[in-house]
Amino acid sequence: MSGFVMFISQIFNGLKIGSVYALVALGYTMVYGIIRLLNFAHGDFIMIGAYTLMLSIPALAAMGMPAWTAVIPATLVCALVGVLVERLAYKPVREKGNSMTALITAIAMSLLLENGSQAIFGADYKTVPTIVSIPTLTIGQLKIDGATIVSIVLGVVMMVAMQLYVKRTKQGKAMRAVSEDKEASLLMGINVNGTITLTFAIGSGLAAIAALMYCVSYPQVSPTMGMMLGLKAFVAAVLGGIGSIPGAMVGGLAIGLIESLTKAYIGTITGGVITSAFSDAIVFAILIIVLLVRPSGLMGEPETEKV
Amino acid sequence: MNATFFGKATAIAAAATMMMSMAACSGGSMDDSGSSAGAASGNTITLGSITTNSGTAAAYGEAELKGFKLAISEINAKGGLNGKKIKLESMDDKGDATEASNAFNKLAGDNSVLAVLGPTISSTTAAVAPLADQSKLPAIAPAATSDSIATGGYLFRTCFKDSYQGEIAAKFAAETLKVKKVAVLYGTGDPYSSGVGKAFAAAAKKNGLDVVDEENSSSADDTEYSSQLQKIQASGAEFLYAPYYYSVAGPYIIPQARALGYKGYVMGPDGYDGLKLTGDKSQYDKVLYTTHYSPDDTSNTKVQDFIKSYKKANNNQEPNTFTALAYDSVYMFKQAYDKAGKNPTREQVRNAISGMSFSGVTGKFTLDKKGSPNKSVIVLELKDGKPTYRTTIQPSTK
Repeated sequence: MSGFVMFISQIFNGLKIGSVYALVALGYTMVYGIIRLLNFAHGDFIMIGAYTLMLSIPALAAMGMPAWTAVIPATLVCALVGVLVERLAYKPVREKGNSMTALITAIAMSLLLENGSQAIFGADYKTVPTIVSIPTLTIGQLKIDGATIVSIVLGVVMMVAMQLYVKRTKQGKAMRAVSEDKEASLLMGINVNGTITLTFAIGSGLAAIAALMYCVSYPQVSPTMGMMLGLKAFVAAVLGGIGSIPGAMVGGLAIGLIESLTKAYIGTITGGVITSAFSDAIVFAILIIVLLVRPSGLMGEPETEKV
Repeated sequence: MNATFFGKATAIAAAATMMMSMAACSGGSMDDSGSSAGAASGNTITLGSITTNSGTAAAYGEAELKGFKLAISEINAKGGLNGKKIKLESMDDKGDATEASNAFNKLAGDNSVLAVLGPTISSTTAAVAPLADQSKLPAIAPAATSDSIATGGYLFRTCFKDSYQGEIAAKFAAETLKVKKVAVLYGTGDPYSSGVGKAFAAAAKKNGLDVVDEENSSSADDTEYSSQLQKIQASGAEFLYAPYYYSVAGPYIIPQARALGYKGYVMGPDGYDGLKLTGDKSQYDKVLYTTHYSPDDTSNTKVQDFIKSYKKANNNQEPNTFTALAYDSVYMFKQAYDKAGKNPTREQVRNAISGMSFSGVTGKFTLDKKGSPNKSVIVLELKDGKPTYRTTIQPSTK
């Protein structure tokens, strides 16, 4: 295998995990954009989506449906959980406390979901049945795995669809308005609470699609699976500029590529002094550097303090 | 509310009464041994056991306890040791280092206890090791594999230690599979994964293998290994040693390697036990791992006798690795006791265990200077997704 083919393969490896990060980051960004809340439970919504997939695939297969249709119940369950979490925990706390209490509530919710599912499903790992089997694409020496193609295509389609939804539809406009100024939106006759609930439903529903993408490549679920994934995606959202949809995409893909390329080349470049084991450290170091240079992230608009 | 409280109080009172009566029993036997030293040790030998019978590792401890009980009942049925019956004083450490230390100290304070079997897991065993040396009470840990446990004083083990598996895998690759180019991938953030991986790399070079690529991951529970595997594939390796756990090697490393077109061997340590399989089973062909015990081991006649005896005593259930190691631990004690002379002290038993040669269900071995066995290792190979017995690797005769 030539060095060039190797490089292209590593780019695709990065794009695969990067599109998962991007879609998860999108969930963070949408919620943050509208209510300035870092929803730390978002990674756990993915866990719930993944468990729903695992449980519904055999049932749907028994009815003669293809396995990927399990994404429909998964989306419904995730959207429902998201709306419940918003209505039962975040909204009451937001109305009584400040942003710190909301943040702590999000962390508590994350732990509640993790430990709750551990109590229900047990701590052990469970495998997810095969969702799609797409043959490996071979172009000359280059081999691209089917899971990689699914992840990248699905990721790009979802990103573009969300961007169009927010920019072109009436509900999208309402979301942007609420994000800009809640009181003014209320005066303009926008149903603010309804819009926030809708945003939560969409953000959490996206978690189910992220869960599908994740399970195509990494077909195993456990109660704590959302933890590291959520953290990396959060970094991606901040790197890209939290609150910005294209930013989530750019941030996610950037983190995926940085991870893949450091794992592949850092050892050779530094003569073995820094090994691929440093990949996570390098990802977080790059985050710090980017934030020093551009505090609002790559695509984020510089924050103008609202009065 | 009141009713519940009353219920609880009654339960506590009942438990307390039971504990007191138990304390009275053991107190009684202690008094006996104290008052008339010769006669008291008279017709029983007490063995203490510390196992994890509650918490996440409870299944391991329960399996060990069954192994101890089986071996002890066999020995007692044949007339005991030197005419004396063995009595087992078993304690639960709940998988907690402090609980294990307390249990060990309690056993050490009981003069009738001659040796201790256990603890179960590496963390509790590491905590007990210095206590064994201080109180000069010999202990045999059946399955604590961590390299960092200070063995060789009064604490010994029946299982091989983690890094030993790396050495055996290198020997197997060179002598049985006869491969030339090998690669290794391990998680630097995990002592098990990196310890075994580094031991393999060093032993591979000694065995004349060409280590064409050595790759790392940050932790042993990453999900994406394609970047590293791509390099391994490009390096032309025919054999990949990937010491990870069942939950990572099964669904991530092996399928990702196969998706990149890697067709060579993948081998791992006993962490592959219970490997989680996903997708097409044929991608797990040429996957091998080392372990302590196999019910299909035909090279060792003791295995089938052990299985038969266990099934008879346990409603036809199958014994597992932990049971086998625990069973061997008791027989190690028996052999040491027989060698140590009449009515041996704890110190004499310890000296008899140190450096002993033993042949049991989990293989033949000699304890090295550090109290870990230099023993035969079972290699299992996945056939149609099922682990099947491949061979037994004998230790290097150094």
